Amino acid sequence: MLDNNNKIAHRRKITIVTLLCMLALVALFVRLVYLMVWRADYYAEKAVELHERERSIKAARGRILDRNGRILADNRTVCTVSVIHNQIEDPGRVVEVLCKELGLSEEYVTKRVEKYSSIERIKSNVDKEIGDAIREYDLAGVKVDEDYKRYYPFGELASKVLGFTGGDNQGIIGLEVIYEDYLQGKSGNILTVTDAKGIEVEEAGERRQEPEKGRDLVTSIDMNIQAYATQLAKQAMKTKEADSVSILAMNPQNGEVLAMVNVPEFDLNDPYTLPEETTYTTQEEYQNLLNAMWRNGCINDTYEPGSTFKIITAAAGLEEGVVTPQSTFSCPGYIVVDDRRIRCHKTAGHGAETFVQGTMNSCNPVFITVGLRLGVEKYYRYFVKFGLKKKTGIDLPGEAGTIMHKMEDMGNVELATVSFGQSFQITPIQLLTTAASIVNGGRRITPHFGVKVLDEAGEVSEILQYPVEEGIVSEETSETLRGILEKVVSEGTGKNGKVEGFSVGGKTATSQTLPRGSGRYIASFLGFSPADDPQVIALAIINNPQGVYYGGQVAAPIVRQLFENILPYLGIAKEDVGEDDATGNQS
Amino acid sequence: MATRTLNKSKRKEQSEYYFDYSLLFIVLFLLGFGLVMIYSTSSYEAFQEYNDSAHYLKVQLLACILGLFVMMVVANIPYHFWEHFAVLGYFLSMGSLFLVKTPLGVSSHGAARWFRIPGVPLSIQPAEICKLCMILFLACLICKLGKNVRTWKGIIVMGVAALPHVVLIKVITNNLSSAIIVLGIAALMVFVADPHYRKYIIGGSAAAIAIAGLVYAIVTADSTDGMNFRFRRINIWLHPELDPSDTGFQTLQALYAIGSGGIWGKGLGQSMQKLGFLPEAQNDMIFSIICEELGLFGAVSIILLFLMLLWRLMLIAMRAPDLLGSMLVVGVIGHIAIQVILNIAVVTNSIPNTGISLPFISYGGSSVMFLLIEIGLVMSVARRIQYREM
Repeated sequence: MLDNNNKIAHRRKITIVTLLCMLALVALFVRLVYLMVWRADYYAEKAVELHERERSIKAARGRILDRNGRILADNRTVCTVSVIHNQIEDPGRVVEVLCKELGLSEEYVTKRVEKYSSIERIKSNVDKEIGDAIREYDLAGVKVDEDYKRYYPFGELASKVLGFTGGDNQGIIGLEVIYEDYLQGKSGNILTVTDAKGIEVEEAGERRQEPEKGRDLVTSIDMNIQAYATQLAKQAMKTKEADSVSILAMNPQNGEVLAMVNVPEFDLNDPYTLPEETTYTTQEEYQNLLNAMWRNGCINDTYEPGSTFKIITAAAGLEEGVVTPQSTFSCPGYIVVDDRRIRCHKTAGHGAETFVQGTMNSCNPVFITVGLRLGVEKYYRYFVKFGLKKKTGIDLPGEAGTIMHKMEDMGNVELATVSFGQSFQITPIQLLTTAASIVNGGRRITPHFGVKVLDEAGEVSEILQYPVEEGIVSEETSETLRGILEKVVSEGTGKNGKVEGFSVGGKTATSQTLPRGSGRYIASFLGFSPADDPQVIALAIINNPQGVYYGGQVAAPIVRQLFENILPYLGIAKEDVGEDDATGNQS
Repeated sequence: MATRTLNKSKRKEQSEYYFDYSLLFIVLFLLGFGLVMIYSTSSYEAFQEYNDSAHYLKVQLLACILGLFVMMVVANIPYHFWEHFAVLGYFLSMGSLFLVKTPLGVSSHGAARWFRIPGVPLSIQPAEICKLCMILFLACLICKLGKNVRTWKGIIVMGVAALPHVVLIKVITNNLSSAIIVLGIAALMVFVADPHYRKYIIGGSAAAIAIAGLVYAIVTADSTDGMNFRFRRINIWLHPELDPSDTGFQTLQALYAIGSGGIWGKGLGQSMQKLGFLPEAQNDMIFSIICEELGLFGAVSIILLFLMLLWRLMLIAMRAPDLLGSMLVVGVIGHIAIQVILNIAVVTNSIPNTGISLPFISYGGSSVMFLLIEIGLVMSVARRIQYREM
């Protein structure tokens, strides 16, 4: 049928077609080699990711310790109880047991048991004993996973400083937020191989990635001081029927905060419960009340510092040389600035006085005069130089900034009021830090709690560093001012702050809150000791005290009592009162 | 001397004609291997769907037995007998396509591609009938055209003959891949029948350039352009991870399976991807599960088996006693080769995803049955070859 020529051509074409097909198959073979050898790891990894179901294992959060190693925030083992719908054999019994052991309503549990899902959480943060008890029943489809819950052994002590954690063990407020990265750790995983519907493939077994524990944070808080200060604050709040009382204690040399009290505090182990008599109607209102309860007044709120701020005016005046301790003034009970008559708190006037006496008397005209001698521009320059315009940089969230006039808007009247601590607002921590920096020889320190971070073995893995700005005032000014402030306590308005056997420098303040004439006052006292080489600086603020409201009478005794207890505790040597050569040592 | 006498006596005992046992064994091996892999890939899903892990295996086994029986019958009928039915088959197969639109039609995955013969448990894919009938019809047509195959007129006649099926398969059963296969078979047969080269080289190059140009245009097209939507399939091919919900998902899952098999594979039955992750695991995607379980070596073995099969078919096509026999075998070569190449190319994401089954191995009763009938035809051709020819 075929002639020979045609047959040969034909055969050649068949060969070509077949060989082309074979060539294509060889090319595909090369492609397979590429996929299965070079890309094998990539695709295998992707496939494993797809096949494995993760159940995370929470990492133990790092603890928070005080300066003496006492645990302020710890972890407690708790359990999470969940049910796996597909594995439940006896739903009735499961519901019954879970209702009984967890104290939940039958309706709630039944709904969850009957819900078709891969895993349904019934209750978390269950005590370990209850979790163990449920495990004892050995019910099919009920899973009890161990978990950690934050626990605060001291309850409400330093609550607004430490903060607490949320459901996922993440920090919500306070140090828990700021040091989240250190404390958090890394959660691990239990990986189970499942098919596309999520059913576990039993032969495949489990793979565990162990969690990494968070690191411990050592803070500068001294829980003994914190506890005592809290007690003092509570007492003052009760006797003076005050709205709130804050006490701050800090090492003025390095900015380590020893205690920060804001009463009323709240229970860190139960942060979502408002005080008993509080009422609210909406969820939003509830949240606002919670936020108010958690608020750290020393850092988040500003106030008019009043006379304690005269320390700053004095430092600026002395530094600039517009005033010396011996400069003389005369106070008729008021001073006229431009067209304004500004009264002294002593309406009869202090008469003739030196600058030292003026400070002891907390005489407004004296400080207004100093302020005016400096003039707006210079005063403002010192205000900035002392660090008052910027935040202190404390390691707590939500620090409020200073509310101050703009320099170009400041006239003599504004300058006069600023000179004695009115018409602008700063936070208590800002006042304390600035005063500490002036009396410590002129080093602007950064107030802080975090000192160092420990690794799992308890070894120091990181020492936290904070900026220090040298020379905001000269050592000479600092020394002069320390002497003047010591006089304020030993002989002046701050004599209630006197501590037997220790030299104390300080300044009182009584400021009327805005709006003026409301009859609400803030009484405060800022004190440090030893006066010539301050080791502790403290600030007590009583918000809206009833009855006597003078700082010298209300706040100074608090700092005195605090110092009486903590100075010996801190190992500061007693000295003969009046002698300036004794030095304190911190153990 | 001894061997020669032995050979001589052996020849005398057997028929004078050739029976290709190698071909039979390769086909049987592929079928057996396919059954094992179908059981491995489908048992998990079969148990969940039908509460019988061997469900798919049983159906396929039935199709194989039936197919082998028909194959032996066809192998023993001289292939010239079918010449009389070429035209009838051509029109009947075309008509069968319309059956899917009748109440006999069976739909799956949103496409009506099967019809059921009442009383028979198997459903039949008419596209498979078309492939067989197209091979027979074109082989006969080429014989009829004689020397005219080398003219443009002859080529156009053959093209026009193939076109109705191609269009109907695409339009009625919405089965692009089968349409491409029928077109491919026809093209290969025309190429072999016509002794000329130049027009095919030019045509092939032009097509290759056009495809490359189109792909380039799509790759560089602005994402807001309409091109992106129209050529979605091609975009998914280039970036399967961008469409993890649909076609791209299947491609990705196939790649995961292939890649995670590695050189040695996970072992027979150990595939993870068949546990519901890879859609159509026992069907179009069975090759990727072979790769996952048996590794590169398993995959290479399969490719080698197909190479051997093509080699045997090529020999038979070249030694066929006449043009009809030769062209029938060329058609079968085209059918099997195109499907194997396209199937492996799809699962390895070498070309855009389109549903093509792997001959003899993928699950699919009508596919395996009609393939076996084609093998029967090839055997019938082979029987006409005298020993001196081989």
